[in-house]
Amino acid sequence: MEPVSRLGKALTARQFAVTVEIGPPKGADVSHLLATAENLREYAHAVNITDQQSSVMTLGSLAACHLLLDLGIEPVYQVTCRDRNRIALQSDLLSAYALGIRNVLCLTGDHVSLGDHPQALPVFDLDSVTLLCTLRTLETGRDLAGKKLAGVPHFFAGAVVSPGANPLGPQIAKMEKKIRAGAQFFQTQAVYDPGQLERFIHKVEHLGVPIMAGIIPLKSAGMARFMNRNIAGVEVPDSLIEEMTGTSDRVLTSISIASRLIRDMKDMCQGVHLMPIGWAKVANSLTDRAILG
Amino acid sequence: MIITEQKAFAELLSLLERHQSVFVVGCGVCATTWRTGGEPEVKALLSELSAAGKQSTGWTITAEACCDARLTRRILKQSSTALKITDAIVVMACGAGTQTVASLVELPVYPGLNTIGLSQIQSLSLALERCRLCGDCMLAETAGICPVARCPKGLMNGPCGGYQDGKCEVDRTQDCAWVLIYERLQTLGQEARLAIISEPKDWSRMRSPRVADKKAAQLAAKE
Repeated sequence: MEPVSRLGKALTARQFAVTVEIGPPKGADVSHLLATAENLREYAHAVNITDQQSSVMTLGSLAACHLLLDLGIEPVYQVTCRDRNRIALQSDLLSAYALGIRNVLCLTGDHVSLGDHPQALPVFDLDSVTLLCTLRTLETGRDLAGKKLAGVPHFFAGAVVSPGANPLGPQIAKMEKKIRAGAQFFQTQAVYDPGQLERFIHKVEHLGVPIMAGIIPLKSAGMARFMNRNIAGVEVPDSLIEEMTGTSDRVLTSISIASRLIRDMKDMCQGVHLMPIGWAKVANSLTDRAILG
Repeated sequence: MIITEQKAFAELLSLLERHQSVFVVGCGVCATTWRTGGEPEVKALLSELSAAGKQSTGWTITAEACCDARLTRRILKQSSTALKITDAIVVMACGAGTQTVASLVELPVYPGLNTIGLSQIQSLSLALERCRLCGDCMLAETAGICPVARCPKGLMNGPCGGYQDGKCEVDRTQDCAWVLIYERLQTLGQEARLAIISEPKDWSRMRSPRVADKKAAQLAAKE
């Protein structure tokens, strides 16, 4: 079947695609979110909207995706299994489809203990694999209980993978499950070493699924060291930390590092997934270079 | 074994605020082994209570598990005289033991312990949670390592992206259950299991309150 989204068409046609991730606000004011998305319109094939990223409570991904669609910007609806059971997840997938959302990124979700409501009850009724299975089940016109649906959704479904996971074997075994469960593309955790991505791609090439390399522009040397300590699978090499330490213009150096990474990784993968964490302007100039470079 | 930990004494004291005379019940099985509600702990609590101005009316340790209503009923009967002059009972057992005592007396019953896990005892100072009582054991699929109990997310289909050097993101001192499962399946030559997608778990088997009724089950099987 023809892919149901612009991102899906680009990736299926083996075009180099760009996605940018932005997070909804903590609060009801969406003006900054929409302004950020507006700036990305001409650069990104689609804009990922995070779902309570890092278990920090924010405005919802579904609503934000809908607001992006109103502006004519294609969203990637990120869905995690942390906060909703199978009833709520199926319901939200149907709602998303009815609102015009076509790209869905299926994630397990961070544990609540890492966020700002650590006392919350974590759900995890489904996981990333069974969420993908659920989405594909809905597409057959049935729900998980086998009940018939009036109106059938169709999605372009993605998942995530961490090329820097150690050990890598369990990560790849899960990636294979995700593909069999229906994942049509992957966005990776942030990669700072093209060699790491190359080794990873070499191991999963046979799976034949589009992979978009994750890029988090470095904001400072401190941020790099923080990620090395705290973010699983992220490894910023010392040379990049030194570059960030020595610079007088952090924005320019950050752009230079990220665009170098994109240039070096471009031929290994099918696109880049930028996670600018608030530095939307950096993302703009990167997407520009990524496409042209 | 059921693992318990003692409640902070200040918390227990505030629970007993309106009571003067206190009787303490310990458990002869789990809480004795784990040293949270055996004879030494019961006696230590009594002396703390007495130092805090409470009057002790006595104590007992159940000969078997405190949660066995048949035996605990008998043991409490032996203390019936003391219980007549008792304002409140503190039970140093798991939640099941405490409720068993509460179901057998017409007195306020307070928990002296918090119940924290069905665990493997490694040493007398280290117990590792191993079972969440899900009612549908999947250890055959996971090389004898339970992801429901040992993965904070209870994942059924492999690790999340949060493990680093084989350790769990939620607690870096803990091994990632799925890395352990992955490695052990390979050791056992069962790596084919890694490819099997586990369907969403049937949580209805964990729906409380679960009643184990063997006679009813036999009758149902006959029908």
